[in-house]
Amino acid sequence: MGMAKFISHLDLLRCFERAILRSGLPVEYSQGFNPHQKMTFALPLPVGVTSECEAVDIFFEDGKATDTEICEKLNQNLPPDIRVIKTGDVCHKAADIVRAEYIIVLKGNGEIDEQWIKDFFANDEIVVMKKTKKKTEKPINIMEYIRAWEIVGKSMTTITIKLVLDAGGERNIKPDVVIGELCKENPYVSADDADIHRCKVFCKADGDLGRIEVFE
Amino acid sequence: MYKTKFEACLKRVQKPARYIGNEFNSVHKEWDDKMMTFAFCFPDVYEVGMSHLGMKILYHMLNEREDTICERVFAPWDDMEKEMEKEGIPLLSLESYKPVKEFDMVGFTLQYEMSYSNIVNMLRLSGIPYRTKDRTKEDPFVCCGGPCAYHAEPLADIMDFFILGEGEEVNNEIMDAYKVWRDSDQTREQFLERIAEIQGVYVPSFYDVEFNDDNTIKSFKPNRSCAPEKVKKRIIKDLDNTFIPEKLIVPFCDIVHDRIMLELFRGCIRGCRFCQAGYIYRPVRERSVEKLVGVAENCIKATGYEEMSLSSLSTSDYTKLFPLIDNLLDITVDKRINLSLPSLRVDNFSMELMEKVQKVKKSGLTFAPEAGTQRLRDVINKNVLEEDLLRTSNIAFKGGYNRIKLYFMLGLPTETDEDVLGIGELAQKVIESFYEIPIEERKGRSVSVTVSTSFFVPKPFTPFQWEPQNRISDMEKKAAMLKDSIKSRKIVYNWHESDVSFLEEVFAKGDRRLGEVLITAVEMGCKFDGWSDFFDYDKWMKAFEENGIDPEFYAYRTIPYDEILPWDYADIGVSKKFLMEERERAYKGETTPSCRDNCSACGAAQFGRGVCFE
Repeated sequence: MGMAKFISHLDLLRCFERAILRSGLPVEYSQGFNPHQKMTFALPLPVGVTSECEAVDIFFEDGKATDTEICEKLNQNLPPDIRVIKTGDVCHKAADIVRAEYIIVLKGNGEIDEQWIKDFFANDEIVVMKKTKKKTEKPINIMEYIRAWEIVGKSMTTITIKLVLDAGGERNIKPDVVIGELCKENPYVSADDADIHRCKVFCKADGDLGRIEVFE
Repeated sequence: MYKTKFEACLKRVQKPARYIGNEFNSVHKEWDDKMMTFAFCFPDVYEVGMSHLGMKILYHMLNEREDTICERVFAPWDDMEKEMEKEGIPLLSLESYKPVKEFDMVGFTLQYEMSYSNIVNMLRLSGIPYRTKDRTKEDPFVCCGGPCAYHAEPLADIMDFFILGEGEEVNNEIMDAYKVWRDSDQTREQFLERIAEIQGVYVPSFYDVEFNDDNTIKSFKPNRSCAPEKVKKRIIKDLDNTFIPEKLIVPFCDIVHDRIMLELFRGCIRGCRFCQAGYIYRPVRERSVEKLVGVAENCIKATGYEEMSLSSLSTSDYTKLFPLIDNLLDITVDKRINLSLPSLRVDNFSMELMEKVQKVKKSGLTFAPEAGTQRLRDVINKNVLEEDLLRTSNIAFKGGYNRIKLYFMLGLPTETDEDVLGIGELAQKVIESFYEIPIEERKGRSVSVTVSTSFFVPKPFTPFQWEPQNRISDMEKKAAMLKDSIKSRKIVYNWHESDVSFLEEVFAKGDRRLGEVLITAVEMGCKFDGWSDFFDYDKWMKAFEENGIDPEFYAYRTIPYDEILPWDYADIGVSKKFLMEERERAYKGETTPSCRDNCSACGAAQFGRGVCFE
């Protein structure tokens, strides 16, 4: 929530580690020379994006704290803009994540209409350079990563769109890349002013490509 | 009101987490007209400022008051500054995104001379008039404290007042006085007159300075009765019974010192003659083990930090160090909290201590012999013997440490080529001491020694305050000579060649005429002078030239004892007479014992507490 969206993934991880230490919850540690808390965030959230559906696996010692206790204690010990909504047993593997859904509010410098958005999504090919893990860049067609889009709201100066994008370990695109390209098409809308919010994450169900939401 | 635009700026800058606030344990209070508001400004980026213990103390202390809101302000990095200026956003506080200009008090901490340009730049970004004489009742009071406040005449026309010494009590007294003044219809001047009577408060506009034709000071006198001839610093007599913050703010992003800092004591018993901190923080006052362990426990609970360091000027001089470490290990080991011990002195570093540290974390070792020969070490009163260093290295090598860092200074008074070359020779002897260990007792195959040198900057309130600085070009020659003399590939030599040391000296020893130079330089774009990517020597020289001031006057001159010094307004407890005697002893190569070995009657005993009475 709020300004916490500017916290990087690694900083968020450390923020959780310290919240857990403050809470005194019985977290498990990894083995080895430099033990650390057993904790994995399912899908890193890009800097500048808010979310209501982040999943993190944290391993606690069996039977020492209930789900409700964990939720309460974490919330007491996290900064105000980061909240735990729900706790439960691990039900999906992070590797099963395939899509994510975003709500984006575009803000115009004056009145805006929606035609340019339709035109943009009608494109077959928009190529951008994507950084690879090997620190090189390769061209990708971002349109191939867009699974669905819809205009869901409109006011005089804002347009709200819903966007479903490929996400996860195999194919991933950051929403700000798509919004950046979209806003290049309209000089009255700045990508920096857009509010991007992740609202759903979808998993592969039992190996097939059906969409299962992590959070209802 | 600026939040939306500010948020848009954050999307275009590096490291936006610096600017967001709302960290765990940050204090957010409701603004209303009854509250007094204090903007605590650190003239550097968030990561540096948040590592500063003094800010943690005063921030939480002021926020403990029900009538006061204290919020933090840091210098925005260049990219953010540009974005904010483009959007017309003034400098804002971190907690409630309020413009700094709307606060009642704007307080800066002066840790280092090279942050002065950032202070002026932060005033510029806030829209607060640079000069105290131009401020009206609509403007905040601008003040500063910290170690440089003892000799901050270059800021005399910029600051409404300075706070000398430790801030825990005096800041509360000032806020109390402000509360009375705010509800009255008195002028700004009347407020300053009231607080000038508080011990530790220096109001520079209440002093008239006259200069001689040769640029030396002719007279330096108070111009009204409320202003004392000399302003005596404040100290906290009983460190166990003063405010110690425990609910420390836990930053989101990585900061320079991202850990609990446990302050064991203030002051230093050693009296190294180059070290300003060694004199201005006297007398040495310790906290008790019980108090420290309690604070440590509460800090761990409140922060979730995974590391704790013991921080004081010379940590290993703490009289009960072993019992303290034992007690701390009891509460840290189970929780996987690392305990680190910085600033160890060579002469009392022992096997026992090292083993205790090792239990938690083994890192490289750093020692600071400061000078290459025993003669010069005696001159500067750094009582480290070569045998001590070699003995300790030997112990360290046997304990499995294979990397040792050695710190030295170039340009110390009386330094000769022999002293400079002695640095390389000493490093070589450390290497050799490794190979003298029988091969079966060595841990690790090889050894490396890193030698770092910095350029000596003679500072006010040290016996070397009357000394000229070596010319930068001369010190560069010395560094080059040293580099040539080092043949071993096991020794790495680093030096920071920089004109910054010269400017640091000018502002350390400068008078109030430098204020205009500072303002000119900032208007030309000077800022972040401590950062090599920003420091622009040529711009600074132009600023001096435009104001008709020769910076060399301040740096390269031997000052006679009878001359009035720009920092004579401050009384740090240690007498000028003692500093003169120390300088004479330095020239004779005579050392002075530590405060615990023998009192040398420096004058700090007048505060009535600490090591002087143990």
